[in-house]
Amino acid sequence: MINKIKNNIYVLVLIKLALLFAIVFLVDFSVGHLLRYLYFSQQSGNLYRTTYSLEKTKSNLLIFGSSTANHEYSPKIFENRLHISSYNTGRDGTSIFYQYAILKGVLKRYSPKMIVLNFDLDEFKKNPASYDRISTLLPYYKNHPEIRSIINMKSSEERIKLCSRIYPFNSMLFTILVGNTEFNKERRKDFQGFVPLKKVFDRELDTGYYPEEALDVNKIRIYKSFIWDCIHSNVKLYIVCSPFYHELKNTPNSVILGEKIAHENNIRFFNFLNDTSLTNHPSYFADMNHLNYEGAEVFSNKLIDTLMTNEEDDQP
Amino acid sequence: MIFTSFNFLIFFPLVIIIYFILPERWRWKFLLISSGYFYINIKPIYAILLLLVILTTYIFTRLIDGTDSPGRKKTFLVIDIILTLLPLFFFKYYNFVNDATFNLLETAHLRWPLPEISWLLPIGISYYTFMALGYSIDVYNEEIPAEKNFGIVALFLSFFPLVLSGPIERAPNMLPQFKGKLIFNYYKLVKGLQWILWGYFMKLVVANRVGMYVNAIFNNINEHNGKSLFVATLLYPIQVYADLGGYSLIAIGCAKVMGIDVMQNFNRPFFATSMSDFWRRWHISLISWLTDYVYMPLAFNFRRFKIWGIVIALMITFILSGLWHGANLTFIVWGTMQGIFLSIEALTNKKKKAFVRKYNLLQKGWYLFTCSVFTYLLFAFSEIFGGASESVTAGFLTIKKIFTDFRGDVWYENPSMIIITSISILILFVVEFKAEYYKGQFSFFGNRSVAVRFLSYAFLIIMILLIGVLDGGQFIYFQF
Amino acid sequence: MSKELIIEKLTRVFREVFNNDQITLSNEMTAQDVGSWDSLSHMIMIEKVENTFGLKFKLREINKLKNVGVLIDLIENKTTC
Repeated sequence: MINKIKNNIYVLVLIKLALLFAIVFLVDFSVGHLLRYLYFSQQSGNLYRTTYSLEKTKSNLLIFGSSTANHEYSPKIFENRLHISSYNTGRDGTSIFYQYAILKGVLKRYSPKMIVLNFDLDEFKKNPASYDRISTLLPYYKNHPEIRSIINMKSSEERIKLCSRIYPFNSMLFTILVGNTEFNKERRKDFQGFVPLKKVFDRELDTGYYPEEALDVNKIRIYKSFIWDCIHSNVKLYIVCSPFYHELKNTPNSVILGEKIAHENNIRFFNFLNDTSLTNHPSYFADMNHLNYEGAEVFSNKLIDTLMTNEEDDQP
Repeated sequence: MIFTSFNFLIFFPLVIIIYFILPERWRWKFLLISSGYFYINIKPIYAILLLLVILTTYIFTRLIDGTDSPGRKKTFLVIDIILTLLPLFFFKYYNFVNDATFNLLETAHLRWPLPEISWLLPIGISYYTFMALGYSIDVYNEEIPAEKNFGIVALFLSFFPLVLSGPIERAPNMLPQFKGKLIFNYYKLVKGLQWILWGYFMKLVVANRVGMYVNAIFNNINEHNGKSLFVATLLYPIQVYADLGGYSLIAIGCAKVMGIDVMQNFNRPFFATSMSDFWRRWHISLISWLTDYVYMPLAFNFRRFKIWGIVIALMITFILSGLWHGANLTFIVWGTMQGIFLSIEALTNKKKKAFVRKYNLLQKGWYLFTCSVFTYLLFAFSEIFGGASESVTAGFLTIKKIFTDFRGDVWYENPSMIIITSISILILFVVEFKAEYYKGQFSFFGNRSVAVRFLSYAFLIIMILLIGVLDGGQFIYFQF
Repeated sequence: MSKELIIEKLTRVFREVFNNDQITLSNEMTAQDVGSWDSLSHMIMIEKVENTFGLKFKLREINKLKNVGVLIDLIENKTTC
């Protein structure tokens, strides 16, 4: 008798838990689908630009990289001077993992003529946040099998977590909603992906050593894959290290290694880190790491000059 | 394995299922094994320290209990306290003391560098050390007899819900429960699961959300203006509360599911109307521990100085409490501030009480509100030294900026961040306000309608999925 | 000293320390029953009791004070021997 009552309670608990899961599943499923619909119907903003880079762009010149790429390379200037359609795929706070995923999505569709990959001075730095931030790619897991191996680097449980339909859109609710409004188009406006920074940095130029950083083997591996995939698809790849508002007395170890790997693969690596024609002008910078709109224009032109002289050098 | 890790979401349900399938007499043994696995999973080497503390506690409590001579009892207790504190001191305070002595000697032109230790602090050591000490002192005071079953003592000190961050439980509450019948209780199961859910909401949604903003500001004090620092200062207590309070609730809830009652750790602290009220609601398990084992003996010894004896005892207790939080000068400043606040209250208590009674202020909403706000502000400012700033200089710079730097606007990343953070704080405050002032009225979790209850659960789970900070993937783009 | 006298004197101490003229002692009374009886006023009360009755407590005795009844018994023990 007592056993029977006890068993009944266990059964009751299980039924109630099942019921709760059913409710949660149902809400998760419908809200998740709504979010997915709204996410992909955005017409402007960061998230939209990722979708555009991955699924839509047909440009022959693509800029890749993190915030430094996004705020410092003006596709307009590349188009005017090189006569080649251009788009800037850079996104704030991303690492080579994100950039490689975008590359895979692009190469699945077509081969651009030229790619400029911006190389950050801490590109290979060991940083757990780089893995967490792979989350920006989660909305694309479902329809892009080619990038799943990268998403799985985030954690071995991503596949289980993705049972939730809301999970890929975690924390994006309001960004997605705002991304569907006209208002968002005028907010931090982009020009073919390029988002110019308006701030002006009003500081003296400091000097010092860049610390020796622990490097992440995964990042180095993915960087190599990025280079090889470009070579295989006959894409002309340039790797560029943009200026840093700090007079460095040494070259960061990421940059040394990045340059070495590039040269081993016969890829041009341009280092503008301490380029005094830029770092002598505080008015070109928005902060220590980023050029502002004025600096971006000067830098884009300077880079094109360098690319053009190199093209001439390459001619026999 | 921490509560917010994915592994714990698998570990805990598994433990619960096996726990209730097993016959009652095996359950505590299973809990001991699970707790061992839980702790070893974090870092095996640190489990040795935990084992050492358990062994010390077991042996010396038995020795204290086994002798009738007061002198020997005392000797055993002193050795036990020293041995138990040794790992904590070594890992938490060695570098601090080492640096301090080094700097002191250096001013006298003496150089005597000892090696720095760069090991991580063994997780939970501050908590289980205090639990072990409390137990030994309780045995010495003959509050409870020494437990003869080694496994029970080991379970008490390594019990997985509590071992990482408390509540700092007491042997007289826990030991009888572990030794008694660990039976299935439907009411406790439901209560426990409710607390776990609310705890996760506090931790993942409120604490992590607020934390993102607060960290962005306090990690770059130099770059931010006074207004932003003021907002961050106001938000920091909410972060700490939602963090430790949420974590405690998950811990208490986990224990409850298994039928074990654990003491409350926070009692809606932001509705406190004075600092002494606040400290009866904030981190209760730590404060009551310090009250019983540090403050009371001190106050007893200083009792002939009357109110001033109490002031001295308060100051020492809170400076110690500060040091417990972290080996840093900032925490000494923090502890001193708490001691001063409480002393002022103790010294003015009689006059204030008379005044309040004369005008019947306790019945007036505006008075309670003003008191709560004032208490909150005092605490928020003291917390600048309670973990918000990295150093005392940074703390003073923060305060200076708040009062002198009026440039610019309050910094924020994007509107979405403000909306999400405000919603999460709002939910927390509304729920707590209802529980504080309208107890027994409409309740979500305790509603008689199954539909309301289940929809509330589902709502919280969906909120966690929607706006919880589930990992470090949230990127705050802070330009400086 | 008789129990009645102890209670009478103790009541006066309680009323003064806890600032409440309505307090009437009972054996089962604990700190919960008196609004302003907290860890701060507790030691003040102990010190006052020591002075009033001319005795000295030990820390262990203080630790074991579960309610007012225990305190009264303790005072009775201490004053008779």
